[in-house]
Amino acid sequence: MNVTLTVNGETRSAEVPPETTLLVFLREYLNLTGAKTGCDIGDCGACTVILDGKAVNACLMLAAQADGRDVITIEGLATREGLHPLQKVFEETGALQCGFCGPGVILSAKALLDENPAPSKQEIRNALAGNLCRCTGYVKMIDGIQEVAETMRSVPTPALPAASKGEQKHG
Amino acid sequence: MKHRGRGLASMWYPVGFTGYANPSGAVVKINEDGTAVVLTGTVETGQGSLGVMAQIAAEALGIAPNDIHVVSGDTDTCPMDTGAIASRTTYITGNAVRLAAERAREMLFDVAAGMLRVKPDMLEAKDHKIQVKSFPSRNAAIGDVAYKAYNDVGTPPIGSAMWNPPMIPMDPETGQGKPFGTYVYATQIAEVDVDDETGEVEVLRVTASHDCGVAINPMLVEGQIDGGVHMGLGFGLYEEILFDKTGKQINSNLTNYIIPTTLDMPDVDEDIVENYDETGPFGAKAVGEPSLVPTAVAITNAIYDAVGVRITALPATSERVLAAIKAKRAAEQKQIPA
Repeated sequence: MNVTLTVNGETRSAEVPPETTLLVFLREYLNLTGAKTGCDIGDCGACTVILDGKAVNACLMLAAQADGRDVITIEGLATREGLHPLQKVFEETGALQCGFCGPGVILSAKALLDENPAPSKQEIRNALAGNLCRCTGYVKMIDGIQEVAETMRSVPTPALPAASKGEQKHG
Repeated sequence: MKHRGRGLASMWYPVGFTGYANPSGAVVKINEDGTAVVLTGTVETGQGSLGVMAQIAAEALGIAPNDIHVVSGDTDTCPMDTGAIASRTTYITGNAVRLAAERAREMLFDVAAGMLRVKPDMLEAKDHKIQVKSFPSRNAAIGDVAYKAYNDVGTPPIGSAMWNPPMIPMDPETGQGKPFGTYVYATQIAEVDVDDETGEVEVLRVTASHDCGVAINPMLVEGQIDGGVHMGLGFGLYEEILFDKTGKQINSNLTNYIIPTTLDMPDVDEDIVENYDETGPFGAKAVGEPSLVPTAVAITNAIYDAVGVRITALPATSERVLAAIKAKRAAEQKQIPA
């Protein structure tokens, strides 16, 4: 069957078997391997992508369910101008170690900040509860997300990288 | 009802193998543009160890860590390393890198001595220059000295070294000896809430004080402590491999082998207690595995402080804690005379 969706601002489509998950669709048909295959049963969150503004486990969704909808993957965050503020803070503060959980964690955090620009520590913990990390104890991730939220709030709206449509097209 | 408790645990931890050789080798070559290449057999798994190797080489050569290109883990090109195990990379591989960099630097000093007309032992490497110790304005750029070494003098500045921690093998008769090159020490304090109706334990805060020698990269040391506390928390409260009668693991998924999430993870207060170790590279020792050693014990001591029960089998699941609370109550009931 044909699945057509918007990925990182670009319209992409592919002919896939109906049982194809969104994760397999992204990784194997679109070659977007940023979303990771961890447990493949919705426990670890390594496959997290943003679907119509909400963080979802791509392994638990059929590609067909995403047909006609808007998907953001980790590949859509950095621009020619540089990394997304979350990526930059994670890099600078050592918030990731092996990095396998990173794409999922960053997209869960982006979905949170897009919806709630001033989250409390507990709200950040809730937003990341579905993303398992074996290396970092989440400590520097939570601190980093708070730091990004503060910086993004202090920057005037036009410079907000998360909200800018034009930026996603570079994806 | 919830009861709050605090517990403390201390540990020491040896770095490297127990009385056995566990060497590391390293090669450092200084390039004509003032940068350098480090060849090491150790591998990076995200902890930042190659960054630490770059910092060590940079410190020895008087250049910046960004000027170091680290080639690692390729058995075709890299010298032998025992491995990224036993929390030994900073201490043992770091010493090999430091020695190799110092040997390459000695070769540069010999060349620079001729250029600056002083003896090699009067020189130091600092700020991308080879300079006279007491007279730093008399200097030559490291790249220029290296270029001269390669093209005029014919002594390319390439240093190689290996390092094995100083040990005295243990006497099989008496057990006496010095099986490790150095040791690290740590104390952690856990603050918990224990619900005496459900046995549920919530860890609110962990303060972790670690002696890791000199912290070559404090940010990475904190990252290791955070991760260690997370693993120690899992070890203490959640993580258990269960087998059926045929020896098959029955909880082989993340659904039933529980590792702590953001909702379980306490705030961590990392406290680095710097302590120069004269056998370590620039005084450094280790932090990796030691960071999780005291956590589970600090938590079980905190459980004792909160509800007065000793948990002697890990993990301290709600079931185990509740069973211990009930057993304690039953024992107290018996003691009341009829």
